[in-house]
Amino acid sequence: MSPLEPFRNEPLAELRRGTERARLDDALALLDARLPLRVPVWVGTDRREGDALPSTDPGAPDRVVALAARATTGDVDAAVAAARGAFPAWAATPVNERADALVGAAAWMRGRRAELAALCVRECGKPWAEADADVAEAIDFFEYYARGAIALAKRPPQLVQVPGERNTLRYAPRGVCAVIAPWNFPLAIPAGMVAAALATGNTAVLKPAEQAPGCGLMVVEALRAGGVPAGALALLPGEGDAGAALAEHPDVTTIAFTGSGAVGLGLLRAAAAKPPRAGSLTRVVAEMGGKNCVLVDADADLDDAVPAIVHSAFAYAGQKCSAASRVLVHEAAADALLERLAGAVEVLPVGQPSEHGTVAGPVIEREAQERVARYAALAADTGRVVTTRAAPAGGWFAPPTVVTDLPADHPVLHDEIFGPVLAVEAVRDLDEAMDRVDALPFALTGGLFARNPRTIERVTARSPVGNLYVNRGITGAMVGRQPFGGNRLSGTGTKAGGPDYLLQFVEPRVVTENTMRHGLVVD
Amino acid sequence: MPGAAPPPETEVVAIGREIAAALPAPGRHPVQAIDTRAMDLTSRDAELKAALFRFVDVVPACRSVDDLAAHLVGFLGEVDSQTPPLRAAMKMGDSRAGRAALGTAAAAGVKHMARRFIVAEDPGAARRTLRRLWRDGTSASVDLLGEATVTTAEADRYAARCGEALDALTAIYGDVPARPRLERDGVGALPRANLSVKVSALTPLLKPDAPAMGQRDAAPRLRELLRHARDTGAHLHVDMESYDSREAITDLVIDVLSEDEFRDGPSAGMVLQAYLRDGGELLDRVLAWSAAHERTPPLTIRLVKGAYWDHEFVEARQHGWEPPVWEHKAESDRSFEALTLRLLDARPAVRVAIASHNLRSVAHAIAANRASGGDDAGLELQVLRGLGDDLGHALAQLGHRVRVYCPVGDLVAGMAYLVRRLLENTSNESFLAEQARGAALDDLLAAP
Ligand SMILES: Cc1cc2nc3c(=O)[nH]c(=O)nc-3n(C[C@H](O)[C@H](O)[C@H](O)COP(=O)(O)OP(=O)(O)OC[C@H]3O[C@@H](n4cnc5c(N)ncnc54)[C@H](O)[C@@H]3O)c2cc1C
Repeated sequence: MSPLEPFRNEPLAELRRGTERARLDDALALLDARLPLRVPVWVGTDRREGDALPSTDPGAPDRVVALAARATTGDVDAAVAAARGAFPAWAATPVNERADALVGAAAWMRGRRAELAALCVRECGKPWAEADADVAEAIDFFEYYARGAIALAKRPPQLVQVPGERNTLRYAPRGVCAVIAPWNFPLAIPAGMVAAALATGNTAVLKPAEQAPGCGLMVVEALRAGGVPAGALALLPGEGDAGAALAEHPDVTTIAFTGSGAVGLGLLRAAAAKPPRAGSLTRVVAEMGGKNCVLVDADADLDDAVPAIVHSAFAYAGQKCSAASRVLVHEAAADALLERLAGAVEVLPVGQPSEHGTVAGPVIEREAQERVARYAALAADTGRVVTTRAAPAGGWFAPPTVVTDLPADHPVLHDEIFGPVLAVEAVRDLDEAMDRVDALPFALTGGLFARNPRTIERVTARSPVGNLYVNRGITGAMVGRQPFGGNRLSGTGTKAGGPDYLLQFVEPRVVTENTMRHGLVVD
Repeated sequence: MPGAAPPPETEVVAIGREIAAALPAPGRHPVQAIDTRAMDLTSRDAELKAALFRFVDVVPACRSVDDLAAHLVGFLGEVDSQTPPLRAAMKMGDSRAGRAALGTAAAAGVKHMARRFIVAEDPGAARRTLRRLWRDGTSASVDLLGEATVTTAEADRYAARCGEALDALTAIYGDVPARPRLERDGVGALPRANLSVKVSALTPLLKPDAPAMGQRDAAPRLRELLRHARDTGAHLHVDMESYDSREAITDLVIDVLSEDEFRDGPSAGMVLQAYLRDGGELLDRVLAWSAAHERTPPLTIRLVKGAYWDHEFVEARQHGWEPPVWEHKAESDRSFEALTLRLLDARPAVRVAIASHNLRSVAHAIAANRASGGDDAGLELQVLRGLGDDLGHALAQLGHRVRVYCPVGDLVAGMAYLVRRLLENTSNESFLAEQARGAALDDLLAAP
């Protein structure tokens, strides 16, 4: 096998070309004819089908997208046991071969780009552009971590050497990794977490979100097709209880989690409280929520800021951890910004995600719709609703809403709503804006629209967020280009798609060898 | 692809020389000579150029002279090679009085530069310039600069401004002296009033992944403008923009002009960009359409190279796409000549306007027109205000039919346009920059 080419992001579909759009439409029609997909509990070579766990189309909840079996505690035990059994052999597999399996998984997905995007559209209500980006990002994770694992094994950091002594640092896998994935990037995020575990020689058990078992299955199919041995990766479709049982399993040494802050903090607590049967501390890699603010200075170019903010807040109905939920604007620009934002939201394409051009589709499920409605009502009570759109009938649509004039302690300014609600606040200056950002417990993404280089420097130096975007939208981090992850309560400070992410999945081992014997130095 | 035969090279060169001889010697316009020198200077220092262009861009958003100076100092501070004049400017930023002086001077400089490219604040205020141009033998197309359209209200406002502009232009040209060369070509009468419009300003819904959406939203406003142009006897030209909106704009123009109510007018036009790899295919489509839909007067096609090259190239590279534009300047130049020949051959089903400041491209079109048996007045040549003034003047003196594209708008609205023109003027690949650097005429006129 020749060495891998340098990493390069998988190109997104060029949706401005009619031929590309037609290809996606065709793939959707083919997929629809095959629905519902069957998603098994898949441990080793054993596939147990079932229909206890259906996933439905958020844009048309009558459409069943997948019928999944529901993992039991027995399944959890079996999956972890299989992963534990497969661990020694997989850990001993040369890193190049492990990397090849990931590259093979990438190729498998690349050959099914349109089909997989169509599945994201149906199962998670992702508009086409976002769905396509999800597939591309999954491919990127495979390719990026394949290379990263090789680099980690072949080019570990160099230690200080003195005559008569040889010091080496290498990284060893940690064991069985439980991957608990969200539905909002139903391919990319599970693919990334599983790939990181596998590339570094761990074995993995994936519990996909109960809303997206079909997409979870595709991640496992891809990796198995790429050459990951059956025992090294299991699929456990299920709900929160299955996830909890998996995370609390004594033989799990690493938990990779992306999801809500409440669940993430629970996992951290559970991991700390675990009986040390396996003789290992459980490491938790957690990506949690955000309350992401965009700062707009008086000199901002609103021609750029307005579309970027609208897209950051409302694309995929605001259901990204990176989405914008607060705008803090210099009072000199506040009126103009508010008026143009409102007008832009008035014409925001809201509708079925399968229609090209849709920006805000439905939210994932009824509870999400109700939650968004609750916050919108709270905002209307105390503040001013600048604009709100009528929601289409038929799916779990939540009306995109812009609110302002909220008191500083209002829940809409502090809670992660995970839906299409954007709050705008006027501030005296950027210092006041930064104080407000600083007061938040979250620190995931942030945005700044300003043109004076000194202002940009000042905000950059003070910003606590994991990903700060200057003069552009604040979503859409690309593997390798914008390593993604937050600080404070937003996460454990890891950076998915970045050069040090894999370090979370390994343990460092240093060997020091005495190379001097009777004055003879053997080097 | 059918097309007129390429003209003899000797002919192209001879025409190019003739035009060059009619150009004013450098230094005849002292103000412009300063501008040209300044631009030459900045085009040699990429960082300084970036700093100054970013400053120009932010000028309208600055709230005071002090704020202006703070921005300028901020940008200049990012330039690595701190020459003495730069250091002096930076130092002025340290005191309030210094900032006042610096800010005032900088604002004046930018306004001065803007006036070179932007005729006036509104069409009414452009009256004197437009009438003088006409008296001197050149017609114009007015373009209304504006902020980006992100709301329906903004689209409506732009459409209303366009309607007012059509009225203003009708009034401005109502009693100008007759200029037969500008008022008739081989096909028939040419309207005096001529307005260029941008579809991106007529709708907030121009989405690259859903061209039908923007098309649907812009159509009623475009129809209203076409009716207005028909009623006032004006020409309406739809500009072409970045590749993201190409499909929407093309479909919009073709579909609306196919409607029965516009069979007999107004005079209307669209733009063909030679820097696009698929420019030829677009022309196939437009020609097939105009053959199937006999409108009177025929569609005018303005041939340009394309104003968004850097954007297209960088965007495609960022996404890992094949750029829609040619990669080498000479390819765009060759494409321009090939499309020129095809367009000339397609007459009278279409009217042709050649828009370029490149002496070679223009001379080639003139030679090809003559070689195909056309007379000079049968071919329209177009230039941009501020960039092609000398060329336009020289061409008009030589008896060609020239139209000057005249942007109108306030400073806020004009900055994006201004920065694009400055970039174009200082780009290493640009004909004008080469000409300003004093390249030999033979090289400038050589076949691409
Ligand atoms: C009256 C008028 C109306 C116009 N209307 C429009 C319009 O509606 N839409 C529009 O897009 N443009 C329009 N333009 C602008 C035009 O597209 C050109 O940007 C401009 O005229 C420069 O081309 P040139 O032939 O004058 O100069 P030249 O210096 O000969 O050519 C410069 C052009 O070459 C191309 N180019 C530069 N580098 C490369 C490269 N590396 N590879 C390939 N190609 C390259 C670019 O198109 C660049 O603008 C208009 C121009 C005029 C004069």
